[in-house]
This record gives sequence, C-alpha cells and structure tokens, in this order.
Amino acid sequence: MAEIQQNDGGKGKKGHQKKMTIRVDFTPMVDMNMLLITFFMLCTTMIKSQTLSIALPSNEKVENTDNMSQASADDAVTIIIDAKRKAGSMDVDTINGKVINEVYYYFGKPLDGEAPTQESVASHNNLQKAEILSDEVNDLGDHTARGIRKIIQDRNKEVYEAIKELKEKYNNGEFGSLETAQEREAAQEKYKAAAVEIRKSDSYKKPVIIIKSTPHASYGGLVEILDEMQINSVSKYQIDNMTSVDSLMLIDYQNRHHGE
Amino acid sequence: MGRVKIAKKSTFIDMTAMSDVTVLLLTFFMLTSTFLQKEPATVITPASVSDEKVQETNVVQVLVSPEGKVWLTMNNDTAQAWSNEKMRAALLEKVSEVYNETRSPKIQFTDAQKAAFGKLGSFGVPLKDMGDFLDLYYQPEGMTKMDQWLAGEDPNHPTGIPINWNQDDSRPNEFQMWMKAMRQTDNENLKEAIKDGTGVALKADQNTSFEVIHMVMDNLQTIKMNKFTLLTALKAAE
Repeated sequence: MAEIQQNDGGKGKKGHQKKMTIRVDFTPMVDMNMLLITFFMLCTTMIKSQTLSIALPSNEKVENTDNMSQASADDAVTIIIDAKRKAGSMDVDTINGKVINEVYYYFGKPLDGEAPTQESVASHNNLQKAEILSDEVNDLGDHTARGIRKIIQDRNKEVYEAIKELKEKYNNGEFGSLETAQEREAAQEKYKAAAVEIRKSDSYKKPVIIIKSTPHASYGGLVEILDEMQINSVSKYQIDNMTSVDSLMLIDYQNRHHGE
Repeated sequence: MGRVKIAKKSTFIDMTAMSDVTVLLLTFFMLTSTFLQKEPATVITPASVSDEKVQETNVVQVLVSPEGKVWLTMNNDTAQAWSNEKMRAALLEKVSEVYNETRSPKIQFTDAQKAAFGKLGSFGVPLKDMGDFLDLYYQPEGMTKMDQWLAGEDPNHPTGIPINWNQDDSRPNEFQMWMKAMRQTDNENLKEAIKDGTGVALKADQNTSFEVIHMVMDNLQTIKMNKFTLLTALKAAE
C-alpha cells in the first residue's frame, strides 16, 4: 500500500521537477508482526523444569549381611504415605480426581519391637499421624514448622541448626562478598561445600528416615516428602517397600480412628 | 452565515516506529523460544523446592502416564559425533540385539527404518510393532498416524513400551531392554550421565499413583540404574 503523493498544487511549472513524498503504510506489517509475536509467546516455554535427584538401593540380594550398615532403632524414623480414605471404608477419597495424601510415622522399630500378632498390633501400635504442612509465618516473618516437618526437624535438630547457622554466616558475607554475581557464586560454592561437610559429619546425631508409600498414595506425595528431606537437611533417607507389619499397623490405626 | 471550516488533516499515522518495536520483540521471542515437545501424554509434574537445573543434553527422559504407560525420549550431545539422529539409529540396532538374545521371533530393522527412528522425538511402541510404526514415516499422512498411534488414539495399535514387574535381570522386559541399550550406545557422555544419575529423568504426573511409579523405579533398580532424577516444577522456597 505504498502511497505516492503528488504535491504540486495543481499548476505545475514546466521544467520543474515534481516533488514526491513516498510513504509506505506499515500497518499491515505491524499486524503481521503482532500475530507472529502472539504465536511465539504462546508456543514458548519460559519456565524450565527442575529436577530432584534420588538414589535408590540396588535390588540385588545381599548375601553378606555383616557389611550392611544397620540403622540403630533410636535413629530410625519411618514415614508412610497413604491416600486419604473415604470415611468408614478403604476406598480412596478424591477431590476433583486428585488423591489427597496423608502421612503416618513411627520411631524405631514397628510395634516397639514386638512380634506381630493380633494383640501386639492392637496394643503396641506406635504409628502416629501427621500432616504435610508448610511453615506458619507470623507477622514478624518468623517461620514455625508444623506437621511432619516439625517432627523431622526435631529429630534432625543438631544438623538443622548447624546448617541454619551456616546460612546466616553466608548471608552476613562470611564466605566472601555477595556484591557481584561472580563473588556470590564463589561464596555459594564455599557455603555448599561446608553444608555437605556438616551433613556428612558423624559428630551430629542424625536420624535415618525410611520413606514408604502405599500403592494408593500419589507420586506428588512422595515428592513432597522428599522435599521435606531437603528442607530439613536430612542426609540419610531412603525409599523402601512396605512390609506386612507396616500394613497391619496402618490398617489398625485407620480402624481405630475412622470417622475422624 | 459563516461556516466554521474544518481543516482537512490526514489521519495517516506513521507506523514505522511501531513496526521496529514489533520486529525487535519478534526477534527476542524467536531466539529465546524452545518449542514445547509434542508428547504422547500430558503430565503436570509435582512442585518441589529443589532447584537443580534440568539436563538438556545426554539425558534419557522416561515419560510415565497415570495409566502406567511409558515412553522414552533420548537427547544426545550437540556434537556431530554423538548427534541425536546418529545415536538413535545406533540405539535401535542395540535394542534389537538385546531383544534377540532372549525373545523370538527375532526382529531386524532396515536402514530406512533406522533413519526414520533417528528423526523421532518420543518413542514407545512394542518392539514387534516397531517396524510397522517406522514404515509409517515414509507414507503420506504418516506423521499424523504416528502421533495418533503414540497417543493411543489408534485402536488397532497399542502404545507405550511394554513394562511389568520384573526383578530378573537376565530376562528383562522391553522397557529394561531399552534402558540397557541406552547404556550401550557409543556416546560416552550419556553413559557417564546415566552412571552418576543425571542421565535418567523420570517425568510423571503428580496424581499418578505410587504403584505405577514404584513399578518403573523397581524396573530401573533391577538393571542397576539406582540413581536418577525426577522432573519437578519449581515451588517457591518456603
């Protein structure tokens, strides 16, 4: 739509060159560009997804059990993830097709080390229920852990506090200045190395957390619990299979508490 | 009566500047965009506080649908020697070798089929159907048919790599065969990545039941791929 305007006032003088202004209408061009931009905006994924790395034990049967590192009963915390059941039945309860996860936990050995019989399951069931909750933040901005996070944090107090102290040091610039991106990166590197040192160190009392899940619980629940490990700086945790005792305890707990 | 004369003014607006801006924006989006890969199943990954970046090269992505179907995507180096097309063609050859060790009837792929496989993004059909699947590539409308097959919209053809509970390393199921073959391609970097756990990424919907995920994890454990990563979306730190 190029427009050539003749601007000679109607009475052109002979021998004089005509003045011409050449104007190109860019409106369609802009229209087209806008369409293309919209297309690209809708097609791009700006947010890159993150990853969470996990390591599982090998499936191979271990013949020599002497070399196995045994977690002492004092340190062991078992977390069981289960789906919320409909009141009074074993059917999985859902909201909009979403499974709601519940967490249960026990310290040490199941049934306090008793052999699993009908009586011991009823009398020595040390399973307790917790919730997956985020921190409570008060007006001053202080965080208070709740639910399962509080339980893990209490068990991992020594390491958690050491890491917290380290973080403070990092924020105060004790690992190097945080001014430029380069310096910040260097400081962060040092901080991370120190944090790993603390997590590995044997001088702190550390829990060993065993994560189990019933088949009905959702994958999201597992990731949430794995997240708690990271938030609370737990160094020793693993994903394991449910044992029959675990199932018995879970059923017993749910039978006793149903309708709540 | 005097009439007010309204001067005739041109309503022509100069769009040149506007055009400049839009072209700049367009350039920006074109350069920064990475297109959404077409995947056989749409999943919403769970949110996590972990901030590890996702690997772009030398990674095998295992896509798990809530129904327990599994598809794979293999990304290699940008280097010519270990380019995607070349490595995928090699992978198909390896997997047929692994398959023929324990299963019959034996399968074999033509060069044309291998070339077609090299151009695929996600894949995941039973190996006995793989030949038919790859032949579609050279047919008119074949790409659409392939997509439909992968998405499970084709009633005659099952999609997803066959997977079941199997803890016997000597008799792997097809999913395990593929994963074993991944380790055997000549791409040393991928081999290294699989070993240290960054090379295998599990992508599943947050509502997938643990049963399904457990089966996939158990399959990987059986073939001694004990370390891997889970793809998550970033959750703001609490």
